[in-house]
Amino acid sequence: MAADGGSSSLGLPCVFSPKSRQYLALCAQDGRLRIWNTDSKTLHQEYVPSAHLSATCTCIAWGPCRTVKEGPQRKKRKSEAGQPEERADLLAMGTAAGSVLIYSTAKGALHCTLDGGHSGGVNSVQWHPEDSLLYSGSADTHIIEWDLQTGKTRCKWKADRAAVTSLCVSPDGKLLLSAGHIIKMWDLETKEIYRKFTGHSTAVRTLRFATTRPPDSNGLYFLSGAEHDRLLSVWQVREDGNDKNSVVSFTLTDEPQHIDLSTSTSKEEAVRLAVVCKDGQLHLFEHFLNGPCKKPLSPSCSVQMAGTQDSPVPVPLLAAALGTDTGTVLLAYGNHLQPVMERVEINTAERHICLTRDVQTTLSLSMETAVSKVKTPIVNAKSRVLVPGLPGHQAPIKGTSQGSEKRKKGTDTKEMSIEERLGEIDLSTVSSVKGAPKGTPSLQTDNFAVLLVQGLESSDAGILNKVFQTRKDAVIKKTVSRLPLPAVLPLVEEITKRLQGHPFTAVLMVRWLKAVLMHHTSYLSSLPDLVTQLGVLYHMIESRVRMFHKLTKLHGKLYLLMTQVATSDSSNTVTDVDHTAKLVYEEESSDEDEASGDEGLPDDNSDNWEEEEVMEETMEQDMEGQADEEEEDQDSRTESKANGEEDMEHENESEEE
Amino acid sequence: MASFKPTKIQVYPKLGEKVTQDTLYWKNYKAPVQIKEFGAVTNIDFSPVAPHNYAVTAFTRIHIYGPFSQEPVKSFTRFKDTAYCGRFRSDGQLLVAGCEDSVVRLFDVSGKVALRMFKGHTKAVRVTDFTSDRYHILTGSDDYTCRLWDIPNSTELTSYQEHTDYIRCGITSKLNRDLFITGSYDHTLKLFDARVNKSVMTMDHGQPVESLLLYPSEGLLVSAGGRYVKVWDLLKGGQPLVSLKNHHKTVTCLCLSSNGQRLLSASLDRHVKVYNTTNYKVVHNFDYAASILSLGLAPDDESIVVGMTNGILSIKHRKSSEETKEISGQQKRRPAYRVFVKGKNYVPKQDDYLVSKPVKQHLAKYDKQLKRFNVSKALDTALETWTRFRKPEITVAVIKELDRRGTLKNALAGRDERGLSQLLNFLVGNLVDPRFAPVLVPATEMILDIYQSVIGQSPVVDVQLQRLQDLLEREIGYQQDLLEVLGMLDTMFTSSLPRKEVPCSGISRPNGLAQGDASAPGPQPQAT
Repeated sequence: MAADGGSSSLGLPCVFSPKSRQYLALCAQDGRLRIWNTDSKTLHQEYVPSAHLSATCTCIAWGPCRTVKEGPQRKKRKSEAGQPEERADLLAMGTAAGSVLIYSTAKGALHCTLDGGHSGGVNSVQWHPEDSLLYSGSADTHIIEWDLQTGKTRCKWKADRAAVTSLCVSPDGKLLLSAGHIIKMWDLETKEIYRKFTGHSTAVRTLRFATTRPPDSNGLYFLSGAEHDRLLSVWQVREDGNDKNSVVSFTLTDEPQHIDLSTSTSKEEAVRLAVVCKDGQLHLFEHFLNGPCKKPLSPSCSVQMAGTQDSPVPVPLLAAALGTDTGTVLLAYGNHLQPVMERVEINTAERHICLTRDVQTTLSLSMETAVSKVKTPIVNAKSRVLVPGLPGHQAPIKGTSQGSEKRKKGTDTKEMSIEERLGEIDLSTVSSVKGAPKGTPSLQTDNFAVLLVQGLESSDAGILNKVFQTRKDAVIKKTVSRLPLPAVLPLVEEITKRLQGHPFTAVLMVRWLKAVLMHHTSYLSSLPDLVTQLGVLYHMIESRVRMFHKLTKLHGKLYLLMTQVATSDSSNTVTDVDHTAKLVYEEESSDEDEASGDEGLPDDNSDNWEEEEVMEETMEQDMEGQADEEEEDQDSRTESKANGEEDMEHENESEEE
Repeated sequence: MASFKPTKIQVYPKLGEKVTQDTLYWKNYKAPVQIKEFGAVTNIDFSPVAPHNYAVTAFTRIHIYGPFSQEPVKSFTRFKDTAYCGRFRSDGQLLVAGCEDSVVRLFDVSGKVALRMFKGHTKAVRVTDFTSDRYHILTGSDDYTCRLWDIPNSTELTSYQEHTDYIRCGITSKLNRDLFITGSYDHTLKLFDARVNKSVMTMDHGQPVESLLLYPSEGLLVSAGGRYVKVWDLLKGGQPLVSLKNHHKTVTCLCLSSNGQRLLSASLDRHVKVYNTTNYKVVHNFDYAASILSLGLAPDDESIVVGMTNGILSIKHRKSSEETKEISGQQKRRPAYRVFVKGKNYVPKQDDYLVSKPVKQHLAKYDKQLKRFNVSKALDTALETWTRFRKPEITVAVIKELDRRGTLKNALAGRDERGLSQLLNFLVGNLVDPRFAPVLVPATEMILDIYQSVIGQSPVVDVQLQRLQDLLEREIGYQQDLLEVLGMLDTMFTSSLPRKEVPCSGISRPNGLAQGDASAPGPQPQAT
C-alpha cells in the first residue's frame, strides 16, 4: 500500500532576477539552467552543469544587486568593470548532490563551485543582502554559511532534527529564518536561536520576509508556505515573544509554487503578494499587516490561463513578478523548457480573470529568433550524450553525430536552436520506429494481450471494449496467439456474450472468435468437456443462421428495388424525354387508368399495373448492366443463381396478380 | 359465443446480464458523495456503536465523519507524519492510530490530544488494533515486529519478531482476547497467542499480504495479497479453502457485508467485487474512478465508503425504503387492495344459490382493436413509440397474429410516409434479432411488395430502405462468418471425441446437434 502523499513532485526552480526583473532563471526537467530575457522574451543564456543529470538543480537564488565598483570580488570582476549600472549577475544553484554552484551571467560561465559541505541534497540557498555570504540549507539537517571570497565554509551548524527545507535572510541581514517542520529564527551574529514558530505539519517550502521593519517594533512579519498546504501563513515577530500562532493566513487553491511580494516599509503601506500555485493559478493579495486577523484571507484576484484550442486546456503559470506600479504583473507560463513571458495589466476589480493565450504560436514565434550565447559541452567522439525522456530514442548514436556537427558549427558562433534540436530528436525517434517495424506492433499486441487478460480477470467492461474495438486482423491474431491458455475459455465466454448483439458490432467479435479457434485448436480440442463449454455458443450461432436463406432472399429483393430507384434517379434527367414517349404508348392501351386516382386506396391492382409497366421497361434496360453485379454478389454469397431467378419469378407473380 | 382470445405475447429469455437479487440489492444506492481528502485515504473504520461514525485516515490526519454529514465531525491532526490505520475500540470510545514516525497514539474520541503515546517501534507503524478485552493494543510495524501494549500503564507487554518483512495488516480476535493474526510482505500470515511467546500457526499466502479479515464465527480467515483473495480454515490448522483471482491488480482491502453472506474486495484496479460466501462467485461489481486503497461498509450495509489513491473519499448511501415507496405512490394512486378482495374469499354455503357473474375480460388496446377487426389500427397501436422500443415482442406478436389471420397485408397497406418510415424503423431495429426474424422477414417481404410502386418517391422512406439494405448486407456477411465458425466447431467437436465409434457431431446438422447434446453428459463427469 505504498501510497502516502509523498513529497515527490517538487516544483522546478524558477526565479526572476531582483529589482529590474530583467531575467528569469529557470531550471527545466532536462537539468539545464536557462536564463531568459523578459524584455526581449528570448533565451539569454543556457548553461549545462557537468552533472546535470545525476545532481539536478534543486534551488536557484539570484545574488544581490550591486554596482560594479563595490562588491567583494573585485579581483575576479575586472573584465566587466565597464558596466556602471546596478545589476544582479550571480546565480547560486543548489544541487541534489549537496554542492552549490555559483554561475555568473556576466561571464556566461560557472564562477565557482562550493562543495564538500553538505552530505545531503541542498534544499535552499540564500544570499546575504550585503556581505558576500551565502547560506545553504540541506537535507542533512545542517545550514552552512559560505564565504564567497574564499569559497570555503565559514560556519556550519545543525539547524533542525529533520531536513532543512527552506531559508530566508532578513532584509537587514541580521536574522535568518530556517525551516523544516518548525520555523526557527537565528541571530546571524551569534548563530543562536532567536525564536521558534511551530504550526506547520509538513515541510515548509517557502519563507519570505514581508516587512523591512526592525523586530523590536512589533512590525516584522514573514510568510511561510508548506508542502500539501493550501494556506500561506503570516507570522509576526513580537517584542514580547508572544508569537505562538500565525497571525494571518491566505487561502490558495493548491500548494504555493512561486511567490513574489512587495515588502512594506511602514504600517501604512500594504503588502502586495502574487502567489503561483501548483495547479497553475495565480492569486493576488493585498493586505495591511497590522496584527492578527482571524479569518483566512481569500485572494483579491485570481488569474488563470487557457489555450485557444476548441476545448481550452489550462496553461499553467510558472512564475509571476509584481510590477512597480500596482496593475502590472510579469507572468511566465507554458512549459519549463520554453516559457513565455508577458507583462500583463490586471484589473484587480474583478475577482477572477481567465486569460487566453495561444501557446503554440507564441512558441514558434519566439523560437525563430536565434540564440546567441548558448554554451554546450564539448563532446568527444568517445563520450556519449544522454538525452532524458523520449522512449525509443537512440541516444548514443545520435549524440556522437550531433556532437561532430556542433564542433564544426562552433567556429561560426551560430548554434542550433532548440527547435532544430527538438526536430532532430523527433526524427530520430521516427527513424528508429521505422527501422524496426517488427518490434513496435509486437509490443503493442503484447500490451493488448495483457490488457485482455486483465479485463477478463476482473471483467472490466472498459478495458474489454477498448481491446475488442481493434479492427486490425494482424493485431487480433497476435493478441490471441499470445493469450495464456487459462484465459482462452473466459475469452470465448465473453465473445459468446457479445455475439448476440447488432451485426455491426458482432462482426468484429466473429473475427476474434475465428482467431481463437484457429490459434488454440489443439488446446480446445483437448478439453474433455468441449461440447458443454462451447455448446451455448453453438446453439446461439445455429439459431442465428437459421434465417440465412430468407434473409438473403429478402436482401436480393431489396437490392433490386434499390438499384432501380438509384438508376432511375440518376437517369432521370437524361431519359426524361424517353419516359414521356413510353407513357404516350401506354395511354393507347388501357382506359382503366382513370379509375385509379388515389394511391392510398387498397385496390392497388391498377396502381401496380401502371408502375410495373414502367418498371418492366426500365428493368430491361438495367438488366444487362445489373446482371454482372448480381452475379458477383451471388458468387460472394453462397447462394446460387437459382435464387436470383426465384426472385425474378416472384416479381413476375406479383405482376400477374 | 366463443370469447375472444387475446394475442399471446411470447416470452423470450432476456439477453445480457441477469438481474439477480444481488444486483438489485447492491444497485440500490444513491449517487456517491465525494469528499476530497488531503492525501491518499489509507484506512476507513466504522465505529461499532451507533450512530456509527467512521474514521478516515488520510495523510497526516484522521477525520471522523458522521453517518450523514459531509463535513468531518471531528479531526485528529496532531500527527508529525503520515498517519495509518485509525481504528475504534469496540465501545467506540477510543481510537488508536499508527504513524510514519513509529509512535502509536491513542485518542479519546471526544478529546483532541493523544491520551497515550506508545514508543518502541523503530519504523512506521502500519497496523493497530484493540484486543477484545479492550485493555491491550496490537501494533505491527515496518521494523518486522508486532507488539502488544497495555493501555492503562502504557507499557509494552510482548514483542514478536517472526516476520521477515514489513507487517502491513493485522487483526485481533473478537472472541478471544489473546489471539491475533498478522499478515506481512514476507507472504505469510501468522496466528499468535499472547499466552505463548511465539506464533502458533503460519500460513503461506504466496504474495505480500495486504489485508486480513476474520469471519464473525472466526473459523474462517480471509487474506488478500497480490491479485489473490484466499480463504483459510483456521479450525483445520490453516488449510486453504478457496483462492479467488478476480482482480487484475493488487487487492488492497477486504470487507464483510452485515449479514456475513457477502464478501467485498477492493483493489488497485478500481473495482470492488462482491462475492457470495457460499460458492465464492462474483455476484456484483462496482467501478470507481481511481485505485482503491480502503473500503468500509456501514452496519446493515447502510453506506459504502471507499477511499482512493487520489485522496477522494466516495460515500454511497443506501436508498431508504420510504423514498422509493413514495415515488411509486405518487405515480399512480390505485384503489386499495381491500376493494378487490372484498367478498372474494366468501365460501358459499350449502343452501346458497349461486349467481355467477361473467368475469369481465380485460383486453389490451391492440386486442380490443383486433376484436373489432380494426387491423390497421391494431398495428398502429402496437407500433406506438413506447411499445416499439421497450416491448418489441408485443409488436412482433401482433404482426404474427395478423399474419395468422391473413390480414397482415391489409394492415400494412395504406400507410403514409410517416407511418411507413416508422414501420421500417422498427424493422431496421429488430429484423435481424433471431427471436423475431421468422415473423419479421415475411412481413418485410410483404411491405416491399405492397410499396414497390412508391419507392423512390419519398426521400425519408428511401433512407430507411437504404438502412435496411445496409443492415441486411451486414447481417448476411456476419451470418456467413458464423457459418464458417460453425464449420470449425463441427470439426473441432469431431476431433475432440475420437474414442467414440459413432461420430457424434455429424454433417447433417439437426442430427449432429442432437447427438452432440446426448454426448454432453458423457464427458462431463470426467471434467468434474
